[in-house]
Amino acid sequence: MDKRILFGGIAILVLIGLVAIFSTSNVGDRDLSANRMHGSISTTMGSSVLGNPDAPITIIEFGDYQCHQCYNWFHNTKPAIFQNYVDTGKANFIFVDLAFLGSDSPKAAQASYCAEDQGKYWEYHDVLYVSQESQIDNGWASSERLKAFAFNLGLDMDLFNECLDSEKYSKRVQYNISEAKKHEVNGTPGFFIIGPDGQEQQIKGAQPYSVFKQIMDSMI
Amino acid sequence: MTATLKTVFSNFRYVVLAVVIFISMLFGLLLLSEYVFLEPYVVSHIPDGTEFGFLLIVILSILSSLVIPMNVYRISILKSSKKKMSGGIFGSFIGAAAGACSCGPVGFAIISTFGTVGATASSFVTNFEIPIRIAAIGLLVIVYYTTVRSLKIECRVNHKV
Repeated sequence: MDKRILFGGIAILVLIGLVAIFSTSNVGDRDLSANRMHGSISTTMGSSVLGNPDAPITIIEFGDYQCHQCYNWFHNTKPAIFQNYVDTGKANFIFVDLAFLGSDSPKAAQASYCAEDQGKYWEYHDVLYVSQESQIDNGWASSERLKAFAFNLGLDMDLFNECLDSEKYSKRVQYNISEAKKHEVNGTPGFFIIGPDGQEQQIKGAQPYSVFKQIMDSMI
Repeated sequence: MTATLKTVFSNFRYVVLAVVIFISMLFGLLLLSEYVFLEPYVVSHIPDGTEFGFLLIVILSILSSLVIPMNVYRISILKSSKKKMSGGIFGSFIGAAAGACSCGPVGFAIISTFGTVGATASSFVTNFEIPIRIAAIGLLVIVYYTTVRSLKIECRVNHKV
């Protein structure tokens, strides 16, 4: 009788432990134990790496899909950086959410990861920045519009809708926001340029290409 | 109008005040609206599509640097009421606030501190940044003309006395 109580107690404790581990370390489909670090920044919950994974430099952008300065950077500075550094294999790029501007911001970030489930994260990311409207929370990034963007990209809508409606990636986005705050990113877009020796250079705001070039050239 | 401007700005102190207001306002607004950056390098740029916003900042700074010294002159030299002065400062403040509350540190601090209420207020100011700046310029233009008119009258009265 005593042994049964003892084993039963141990089994319950193990179960509780497993539930606790599962609920804290799994954020969406990602496992925190497989921690991906760039310098001192955990990018595990961010986007996949775009560009050469072995590139000497990593550019990490903390951004919000409703931020007009992120829009400016996406359209004015990013193309030159990609042309000269990412496409040439000198740098790679990771996007991490700092979705704080409005109630549609976290939803848009979650939608990008729902698209990632179907291998279209970067396409969806680009669609969001191309479709951004100047007003925050005016409905351009509502659930219906986010689903329409997914439909236009040819995603499986049953999977996408289920993912978005269930808020599957809510914790993942929250984790990214807390990571941004931990590294004192207090506005969007915020960047970290991580050099080959792990040196970090923070860039605050939608700064011009010349600034990125100067920093990256000094690191290579 | 030119005579009134000459009257005020013939005093070097008001020229200095105007220059200080213009530079601090222009620099502050360009910094808040991310036309100028100080770190890691001092750099300025006007991204495509933001030229109109830049122009509004310049106009706002010029008007503030005219209206505020003129009203300081009215109050200190002519001992007039402070009513128009508050209009000028209000216009300048509104114009400045319009650019501050976006994705930058000020907006982030407001949203982090005040939560949903802060986010709503910040969104409103961001969404209507250009109309708010135009309204602030309109207010400053009105204050400018009424100040010039009252300076003409008050100077004439004081001169007769």
